Amino acid sequence: MNVATTTYTESGGHPSALESVSLSIGTVLTYAEQQLITRLRKGEERAFDELVTKHHGALIRMAMGHVANREVAEEVVQDTWMAVIEGLDRFEGRSSLRTWIFGIMIHKAKDRGVREKRHTTFSAFESFNDDTEEAVDPSRFHQSGEWAGHWALPPQPWDDQTPEKLLASQQAVNAMNRAIEALPPTLKDVLILRDVEGVEAKEVCEILKITETNLYVRLHRARERVRQAVETYLGGC
Amino acid sequence: MAQEESGQTSLEITCQEVVQWASAYLDEHVGDERKRHIVLHLAICAGCEAYVKQIATVRDVVGLLPKAVEQPLDSDRLRQAFAARERRSSPAGRRV
Repeated sequence: MNVATTTYTESGGHPSALESVSLSIGTVLTYAEQQLITRLRKGEERAFDELVTKHHGALIRMAMGHVANREVAEEVVQDTWMAVIEGLDRFEGRSSLRTWIFGIMIHKAKDRGVREKRHTTFSAFESFNDDTEEAVDPSRFHQSGEWAGHWALPPQPWDDQTPEKLLASQQAVNAMNRAIEALPPTLKDVLILRDVEGVEAKEVCEILKITETNLYVRLHRARERVRQAVETYLGGC
Repeated sequence: MAQEESGQTSLEITCQEVVQWASAYLDEHVGDERKRHIVLHLAICAGCEAYVKQIATVRDVVGLLPKAVEQPLDSDRLRQAFAARERRSSPAGRRV
């Protein structure tokens, strides 16, 4: 992509011509973000390094859900950073800097993924239907009778030390990471943004252009898949 | 299970519904009425109480998983592009 001729709006990466070189009056930026943008616009390389270090890992992880392999994800994120550099003077602060950057990446990753899908089939494109898929296996609940919809096979409680135990075990960490990497992109995007990066729900919705209802449906299904991985791990201990 | 803990024959919401709303409940993104039903259900259902706690554990642990430090493959190219932008937008080259 020729980044020199492409600009990105703050509502999610669609090409558009923006003229202002300063932050808009209605900016949503925090003081820290405004400071960072000021440093970036002054050309402070350290500020750019900080920005890249802060977001690069999450950008790569999310991009990998949309494209064929890590190499392509690296290209997508590299293109994203080039677009950020090119668009910095036009960024008006109507969304957070993070929302703008992740929006650019998702636009590029989806575009690249769609182009590749025409020629390739791979599991990363597993589709996900918000309306029909159950988070938890329905067979774990009574299907009929007086107790229909209530647990038939309830989960076994985890003890209070479980978080520490999980984080201390490389096997458990690997199991959780595998579960996250195996998520379809629609679920992986919300889990990484909300739970891994700690982005507020409203901002996640803005980045992904989904409603809060969709967000919680997806987030819960993503958490449930990780929970199942932990349950399997603990069951095998 | 709800029925074993409560001895009641009906609850206002089912375990399956509590499960479905678990993440929204933990993030306090449910309405007052639904929240009341969930709180009452959790008070009498060990299965759902365990489930919601597990989802909370997953939410917390996922945020604490070790993160690999990632750097772009071509950091030099990015730095050069960043420096070139600065040259273009410096007073001599800045658009009016």
